[in-house]
Amino acid sequence: MKNFIVTLTYVCFTAFFAAMCICAGLNPKAQSESERRPLAQFPENITAEGLFDGSVIEKFDAFSVDQFPLRETFRGLKAHFQYQVLGLKENNGLALQDGYFAKITPEFTEGLLNDSIGRLSYVYEKFVTGKIYVCLVPDKNYYLGRDYGYPVPDYEGLVQKLQEALPGAEFVDIFDELTLQSYYRTDTHWRQEMLLGVAEKLCTALDIPAEKAYTRHTLQGFRGVYYGQSAMSPKPDDLVYLSNSTLVNCTVYDYETGKTIGIYDREKFSGKDGYDVFLGGTKALLRIDNPNAQTQRELVVFRDSFGSSLVPLFVQGYKSIYVVDIRYVMPDALPHYIDLSGKDTLMLYSALILNQKAFK
Amino acid sequence: MLFSSISFLYYFLPLVLICYFILPFRLKNVCLLLFSLAFYFYGEPVYVFVMLGATLWSYAHGLLIEKYRDGKLGKVFLWSSVTGSLLALGFFKYADFFISNVNGIFNSHIPLLKLALPIGISFYTFQTLSYTIDVYRGETPAQKSYIKLATYVTLFPQLIAGPIVRYTTVAEELESRHHSLENFATGIRRFAVGLGKKVLLADTLGAFATALHNTANPSVAGYWLYAVAVSLQLYFDFSGYSDMAIGLGRVFGFRFLENFNYPFISKSVAEFWRRWHISLGSWFRDYVYIPMGGNRVNTLYWLRNIAVVWFLTGFWHGADWTFILWGLYFAVFLVLEKFWYNRVFVRLPKLFSHIYVTLVILVSFVIFSGNGTIGALEDLGSMFFLEGLPLWSGETAYYLRSYGLPLILGILGATPFVKMAAEKLRESRGGWVMDALEPVFLVAVLLIVTAYFVDGSFSPFLYFRF
Repeated sequence: MKNFIVTLTYVCFTAFFAAMCICAGLNPKAQSESERRPLAQFPENITAEGLFDGSVIEKFDAFSVDQFPLRETFRGLKAHFQYQVLGLKENNGLALQDGYFAKITPEFTEGLLNDSIGRLSYVYEKFVTGKIYVCLVPDKNYYLGRDYGYPVPDYEGLVQKLQEALPGAEFVDIFDELTLQSYYRTDTHWRQEMLLGVAEKLCTALDIPAEKAYTRHTLQGFRGVYYGQSAMSPKPDDLVYLSNSTLVNCTVYDYETGKTIGIYDREKFSGKDGYDVFLGGTKALLRIDNPNAQTQRELVVFRDSFGSSLVPLFVQGYKSIYVVDIRYVMPDALPHYIDLSGKDTLMLYSALILNQKAFK
Repeated sequence: MLFSSISFLYYFLPLVLICYFILPFRLKNVCLLLFSLAFYFYGEPVYVFVMLGATLWSYAHGLLIEKYRDGKLGKVFLWSSVTGSLLALGFFKYADFFISNVNGIFNSHIPLLKLALPIGISFYTFQTLSYTIDVYRGETPAQKSYIKLATYVTLFPQLIAGPIVRYTTVAEELESRHHSLENFATGIRRFAVGLGKKVLLADTLGAFATALHNTANPSVAGYWLYAVAVSLQLYFDFSGYSDMAIGLGRVFGFRFLENFNYPFISKSVAEFWRRWHISLGSWFRDYVYIPMGGNRVNTLYWLRNIAVVWFLTGFWHGADWTFILWGLYFAVFLVLEKFWYNRVFVRLPKLFSHIYVTLVILVSFVIFSGNGTIGALEDLGSMFFLEGLPLWSGETAYYLRSYGLPLILGILGATPFVKMAAEKLRESRGGWVMDALEPVFLVAVLLIVTAYFVDGSFSPFLYFRF
């Protein structure tokens, strides 16, 4: 009897999923929303050459995995099994601590750091003539290492590299102004409402008054990049942005499109990346104009996406802030758009981005 | 094709099972042969012809050897069979090893062939060798049907990572075998256990080993943990594959011999090799060691026999001096045990023997897993304070905390503890609970490994490279 039950169990289980595989294969999904990538499709143009060089089989394997029925559920099952049953600290390199997801990076990649810092150094040597400030944004993994014993890359070494590459720059250390809770649980980015301490420290360094009076606006249901990667359907974050009359009156000019946008774009919240609410998301070159400014000072910020939520907290101190992302604009093209000479410059980069191929 | 893949579990296996069980017995071997070729073609589209050629070579030689066995020609055909098979293996697996050594010694510049190694060639070559040698020895009649011999050689459950199933083991089953609900259920149970061992334990312990080995802040303790993790990974990977092979064989009515028998509980290195990769150890014993005289020769010849067998055992595992070093390392301990075991080791407490064997095995698998001979020696140096590493590091602590449970499960699973506990429970009043939980266990394993396949990337079995 027990052999019959085992056999029946196996046959039913396999038949069910094999049939589901066929059904799912007949109606393939084009996109994985959670992973933000296209899903593999059944191989087209099956030729003898493709069969013998293995490419058809490779594509079929990818298709069979990507189009597997209940794929997201299975990914979630694996994640729960890894964290909660096996007690592993990571799943696909993603750590889960107190509800916060973070990519564990035991080491920075020397070559990537050289590329990215080399690019900053080039900008510094060629274009910067005024005061320059540099600020490194630690990734969440720094706090996981400091407070929870996770492996942490060599941040001291990275800071030293930055200081050596930008010898005249004033380094503004914001590490102690942040904690794990300063970041979104489901995203790589930091929470704007937790950045007042960081902003104050930078304002002091930049010698501008710090603003503390903001109204909080909450957008519920922010699903960050780790939301999908984790496959665990965690509780979404609230995305809070800070505003006041100064910020409301500011305009943002996008050099790429020639259009004027606001500091915050609520419509972007329902797009692929809710964090694009801040300064409209990925933009090569912006100018923020503050019509109520009591000063003629201007600032150039070389930044990545972390800067999008921090830069609005400096507008009270400047007539204009130029926001540059040199991942998307060649530094040599900048003089066509901005007169960089004599302006204060802030280089605000996250360790996460410096350690990516973005600057290659 | 990999057992641990969606395409095998939900496309290939259901299809082969349906076709196999609806066909009459006379067509079952043809069915298995065609599906086995498809299975191999999936991973090695071109080399499937090499395998069929090797089978044809052995088939023809089997018939010729049988016909001329009593005359000199029988021996000639035997040598021709063995030489041809070994030349094919040597060409595909060892050519570049020999060329690079010749280049190194004579400072020549012979270009490397850079051939991809046909998957499973070491396994099926040894199977075909055992077939023709057994025919020559009169231990089995030659197979008259190419289809049946090809079915044996290419049989997909054991094709690419063993165990090395001898023709004599399955000769009768190729002619007639029994299919039953018991065989099917037992086979599926065993298959599920193997799948779980491979996906849940071996791969997790492999990740643990890699993390410890590649950490930016290594430590001596970390390297010892690496040795434990990599040893267990190899065990669960290979024994898991053997379980799957034995289980699938059983589903189709074949009874393959066991390939592992809790090797880590051994009290001597000799015993370890009677429990680890049994089919390989017995192959070398029966086809190399004993024909050379085994231990029924004087000490000097015996030492030669040991050295040859363990050189070959190492070399079989890979075309690299690391593997040869690994094989000869065991030879040293087997010789030491031969001379001193009965005088010294058996008088010591059992615990000492276990510690001794465990240390020898851990060191052996660090050599085995090393990145070349230099890398292996560096790893060993790190274990024995020769690389200036600290005893402990924060990252070692982190990885131990993270992988602690899989490590404990691995250690327990490598002993008969789990099996004994299950058997005791089954024999007790609570036996019905075990029976009731069995389908739940089966579904749970299948669901979880499927989740790993869906989420994970390509994860080949370690023994594929052999």
